[in-house]
Amino acid sequence: MRYIAYILALLAGSALSFEGAIYGELGKTIGQLETSFYNFFVGSIIMGLLWVFFGKGKLSYTVEAPKWSILGGLLGVVYLTSIVISVPFVGVGITMVAVIIGQLVMSMVIEHYGWLGSKKTRINKEKVFAVISMIIALVLIN
Amino acid sequence: MSIVMILFTLLGGITLSAQSSINGAFSRKAGTIETTFLTFITGTLFLALFILFFGQGNVLGILEAPKWQLSAAFLGTMYLLLTVMAVPRIGVIAANIAGIIGQLVIGLLIDHFGWFGSLVIPLDAKRSFALLFMVIALYFIYKGNKRSSEEPS
Repeated sequence: MRYIAYILALLAGSALSFEGAIYGELGKTIGQLETSFYNFFVGSIIMGLLWVFFGKGKLSYTVEAPKWSILGGLLGVVYLTSIVISVPFVGVGITMVAVIIGQLVMSMVIEHYGWLGSKKTRINKEKVFAVISMIIALVLIN
Repeated sequence: MSIVMILFTLLGGITLSAQSSINGAFSRKAGTIETTFLTFITGTLFLALFILFFGQGNVLGILEAPKWQLSAAFLGTMYLLLTVMAVPRIGVIAANIAGIIGQLVIGLLIDHFGWFGSLVIPLDAKRSFALLFMVIALYFIYKGNKRSSEEPS
């Protein structure tokens, strides 16, 4: 059963690369911002349906929540648009490597300081080695 | 040009990581589906404004685009659902690391074969070594996270 969970997680990651490659193509014809808009628009419809049928939480928390905690959508827009712009120029491989490095390094910093409501987890020796290996990978792939 | 693109994409990764912390904080009170729904709605609203002022493409081109390109909208949702299914069985860290490996391997394969009409970049020795170093990095991240979760904080 554990193996199936690993396969599901691998498939989840592959879905992101397929998404980047396909949106790179769509971006060339209809425009990059327009492609992001399409993704968020249809995503809203899909998630809206899931929410109507399966939502067990409290959407109304939106109006009480601290304002910084509802900025996730804007950050997601920056992420997706940067992929749509980058893929046609440098390919899916480098794009994904760069996104992953940005993501992993920033998570370490956020957790080190316990920013944005995260649990404080100090940067340790292993994480420094990880960053060095990622920089070597980025230099090799470019 | 390609250096600028890489820096720009690093920024994309940075915002994604900030997004997951922010959404994590929000979802503790509001729920996972609700958080994702809100993320998509606010993203749509921001993009609608950006397109009004800076859009140079053609939004209505969506209606004429090939359907296989439009199907990508379901891949993002698939990612979320599969991750949600995997996390309770193997934990957040293992699920994220397996996800990243899938993302990297498929990304390099798409480049190698030029699937979906993208650039063709062969998977040569240099790229294979890059993949190896990414896997080493993920191993260290796994070790590092395991060690910090064992230490009392």
